[in-house]
Amino acid sequence: MLEKLVNGFESFLFRNRVWVVGIFVFLTLFLGYQASQLKMDAAFIKNIPLHHSYMQTYLKHQKDFGGANSIMVAVEDTSGNIFNANYFDTLKNVHDQLFFIPGVDRAQVKSIFSPSTRFTEVVEDGFAGGPVIPADFSTTVSGLETVRDNIEKAGIVGRLIANDYSAAMVSAQLMDFDPQTGKPLDTIAFAAQLEKELRGKFETDKVKIHIIGFAKMAGDVADGAKGVLLFFVIAIFITAVMVYLFSKSIILTVLPLVCSLTAVVWQLGLLTVIGFGLDPMSILVPFLVFAIGVSHGVQMINAVRRRVMDGQTTKAAAASAFRSLLVPGGVALLSDTVGFITLLSIDIGIIRELAISASLGVGVIIFTNLILLPLVISFTEIKVDKHAEPTAEEVRTEAIWRFLARFATPKYAVVVIIATVVLYFAGLQQANQMKIGDLQGGAPALHQDSRYNLDTFFITDHFSITTDVMTVIVEAAPEACTYHDVLTQIDEFEWLVRNTPGVESTVSLASVAKKVNAGFNEGNPRWEVLPRTTASLVQAIGQIPTTSGLLNGDCSVMPVYLFMKDHKAETIETVVAKVKAVAAKMDNDKLQFKLASGPVGVMAATNEAVAEAQLPMMLYVYGAVFVLCLISFKSFKATVAVIIPLYVVSTLAQALMTQLDIGLAVSTLPVIALGVGIGVDYGIYILSTMSSKLSNGMPVQQAYYEALVERGSAVIFTGLTLAIGVSTWFFSALKFQMDMGILLTFMFVVNMLGAIIILPALAAVFWRQPK
Amino acid sequence: MSFRILQCVAALSFGGAFFPSTLSATPSDPIFSQIQPLAASSLILDIANVGKGLVAVGERGHALVYDGSWHQVATPVSSQLTKVFFLNDKLGWAVGHDATILHTQDGGQTWQQQMHSPEIEKPFLDVVFLDENNGIAIGAYGLFYRTNDGGAHWSDEFHEELLAEEDVSYLAELKDSDQSAYVSARASLLPHFNRILTLTDGRLLLVGELGLVAVSGDKGSTFARTSFDYDGSMFNAIETKDAVYVMGLRGHIFKADVSLSQWNEIELPVQSSINGAMSVSDDAVYLVGNAGIVIKLNEDDTSSIVTRRQGENLVSIAKDNQGNMWLSGSQGLFILKP
Repeated sequence: MLEKLVNGFESFLFRNRVWVVGIFVFLTLFLGYQASQLKMDAAFIKNIPLHHSYMQTYLKHQKDFGGANSIMVAVEDTSGNIFNANYFDTLKNVHDQLFFIPGVDRAQVKSIFSPSTRFTEVVEDGFAGGPVIPADFSTTVSGLETVRDNIEKAGIVGRLIANDYSAAMVSAQLMDFDPQTGKPLDTIAFAAQLEKELRGKFETDKVKIHIIGFAKMAGDVADGAKGVLLFFVIAIFITAVMVYLFSKSIILTVLPLVCSLTAVVWQLGLLTVIGFGLDPMSILVPFLVFAIGVSHGVQMINAVRRRVMDGQTTKAAAASAFRSLLVPGGVALLSDTVGFITLLSIDIGIIRELAISASLGVGVIIFTNLILLPLVISFTEIKVDKHAEPTAEEVRTEAIWRFLARFATPKYAVVVIIATVVLYFAGLQQANQMKIGDLQGGAPALHQDSRYNLDTFFITDHFSITTDVMTVIVEAAPEACTYHDVLTQIDEFEWLVRNTPGVESTVSLASVAKKVNAGFNEGNPRWEVLPRTTASLVQAIGQIPTTSGLLNGDCSVMPVYLFMKDHKAETIETVVAKVKAVAAKMDNDKLQFKLASGPVGVMAATNEAVAEAQLPMMLYVYGAVFVLCLISFKSFKATVAVIIPLYVVSTLAQALMTQLDIGLAVSTLPVIALGVGIGVDYGIYILSTMSSKLSNGMPVQQAYYEALVERGSAVIFTGLTLAIGVSTWFFSALKFQMDMGILLTFMFVVNMLGAIIILPALAAVFWRQPK
Repeated sequence: MSFRILQCVAALSFGGAFFPSTLSATPSDPIFSQIQPLAASSLILDIANVGKGLVAVGERGHALVYDGSWHQVATPVSSQLTKVFFLNDKLGWAVGHDATILHTQDGGQTWQQQMHSPEIEKPFLDVVFLDENNGIAIGAYGLFYRTNDGGAHWSDEFHEELLAEEDVSYLAELKDSDQSAYVSARASLLPHFNRILTLTDGRLLLVGELGLVAVSGDKGSTFARTSFDYDGSMFNAIETKDAVYVMGLRGHIFKADVSLSQWNEIELPVQSSINGAMSVSDDAVYLVGNAGIVIKLNEDDTSSIVTRRQGENLVSIAKDNQGNMWLSGSQGLFILKP
């Protein structure tokens, strides 16, 4: 039935080949135009699991507390002392400039120049105080001396001023949507503006500008992602050389490359059509599409070439190659697509985007490389030397196939299988130690020595600021903060969580109110308590503005900030577990302690989402591959023989992650699915050739040998091409691309080895020779 | 953890006989202090020498015992403890917010509650015992409780003689006209009593808010203000070989001879409140205070800043039997590095 269908399709396409190619050209022009409109796009919101309960809390209170999308600009005086006129002028300019950059929430710009930065001191008859930068401020020696005194009185050293007075901080919250246009903030444009308007304008020999925050990181990641273009060119070049070595024909080199590039153009164009931008995370997709396209293209030219060598005309050879490859190629590509589509089950926008763009890309390869390519080939005239005597090279290749075919003999099969089992369990033991989340300090997407991470380390070294903040949101009734028992419970909660390994310090409305109360009592530390008298309590709370981020307008919501040692997964897990345990004891109908906001809150949710997604994702990918193999082979044995090597390789890839300290994160989670989706191709190509021969009763070794002769070189070639394409990422400016590159290279190569070594061994066992 | 709670319960039942009639707690009060790893770095407000070791108290009902290292012991309250006083190696009392008085009979290892009256809404700020029966606890707004039976019963006293003159007549008026206004005025007219100290000659020195420096020759039944010109708060007092110092707000410190007839101000190089003091030798006193200052004050009234710990307040200073000087304050307990 299927065969009939394919034959009918073939005769239809080849009869109307001019028209069909014309349609392809037209579509390519259209999508090419669309692709040229494609924009880089990196929104914070795409990186977080929006439906996770923590993120629901985060989103609910984001308006009041800004949440996690902030920017910090540390202005450093390279002399190590900020108290000079030049520095203060620059700092003021930086503050004003940041205030006016569109996308900044102006109410939340904070530095010593913001009017809300005040000091208070206790004097005999009460309080004295004022803004840290007095109204009559001048950059004279005495003016700077006054500011210095005020800074100390205001207790902002460590937050707005570096501990060693070598720098000062200007911080701001960003709005996710432009209030005027209602459009999402263009993070990358914003980052470019920071670079231009702040660093470009104000950085000198004397003053250095350090900028951190998600937006800046996204900008730097986007810049790094642009470097990928170079890798793309390199990958195309290397691939071209390899295809030529393989085909020894310029036409057969150019055509699959052109068709594969067509697939890339289609994929990028389709992104614009469906309204997507190109995210730095999914910039790897064009690579994959190209590499997968080439690998299928190589199968195609290989098939054509063999047929031409057998004496067919190029056109007949192309049509016949189309017939023979449409089903296995289609199944392989479909299983890739399905593998990517399973990523949709993960509740993180960026992974879903990756899933969609990758499955689109792989889907179009069916058209460009299984349909367009043979059609275009049919217009050409391929010349192959038809010689009776095999060349020296062919002899060599044949020797390799003979050698490999031994793996399909029971004797070798047993050895291979035992080795596989040993390898599997060794790998499993390592894989089980795979860490979740980001394992390094700073921004994990970037290298440790990137400007952004150096800036991060400068800020964390010189300020008592950590970017590793998790916020627990306390939800209560309106005016809750005027009740002694409510604040006492928050205080109690804060203290219990403070006593968790990994929590360095904490702050909440309760702990600040205690300090304010001491302030009202002549600064006497013996009054650092929550006053029982409502009047005193209200007096203390009244001193704390909503801009402090410690309470909302009607004080029904009061966050507790947890400043953490780092953002390693174990640290986060320990703290989250403690928060949950304490909250479970303390939650009542009056107030609830809810996770989580702040950068580490987002990481906690992401880690949980990633960890939770891992198993279902694997099940879906393998389920899909299983079903597709079952359909195409109609053999349970064949399906298992394809899947076992895949599974062993996935496990080994996880073991490799443990070995290389690569955590399971948003960027590495999809790699496993991609690796499986693409890795299955090899097995499908080999086994599809074998299975018909096997069902005709051919011995396994012979069937495998013939499969190798027919497709072995294409399979090995494909594995190497894919691996070379992604291995260029090893030099990427982006840490996550490097990680992905390493893992994908590993998966492509080892899956290929699995298909030519483990698969025949399994086949030898499954289709044992009748004695 | 559960072991600690058991210990608390045991301590409670042991001290059952001492439960005063004033005992009460609102339902939301966590009853016990929580044993937590960071107690020694929480806000610690007083350190006392006990035998060979030290005992410290602080926020959240924290009590800690030092015997080469600090460990937290359970107390039956979570109210902030402001002061701790030891009569000898065994008998001690700690006082604090929510009108709390705790008692120990084993050098600070276990604590029993003698008084806990959050409804008064005033803290005790100091406690002194003249012998094992007679003790006085003082606190905010003239809070003054006395016991004659080692703390089994505490009864309050109102030291009218420390009222300002105009307040005396105002109170007399109210007493005749409006009983409830009289009661509430009486509860808030007196200044805070911050520190009570037994002098070597047996007199009691009381210092407090609004320049209160008073002395009692009759075990605290009546006090007389000494002539004192400054009207800021005094937080602490210390007696040395031949002088008495009182100290407090904004770096103000005054010195008098034992007659206490004339106080002379000593200039300090700081403007931060002085909270704690300790004689380190016959001729020098160490002072600690807000803004992390530690000052050495010499007999000849010269002084120097020993250290300044940014961003924290120091409240108390004590020396252990190894000669280490322990400081306490907003960052907890730590040794003063020479």
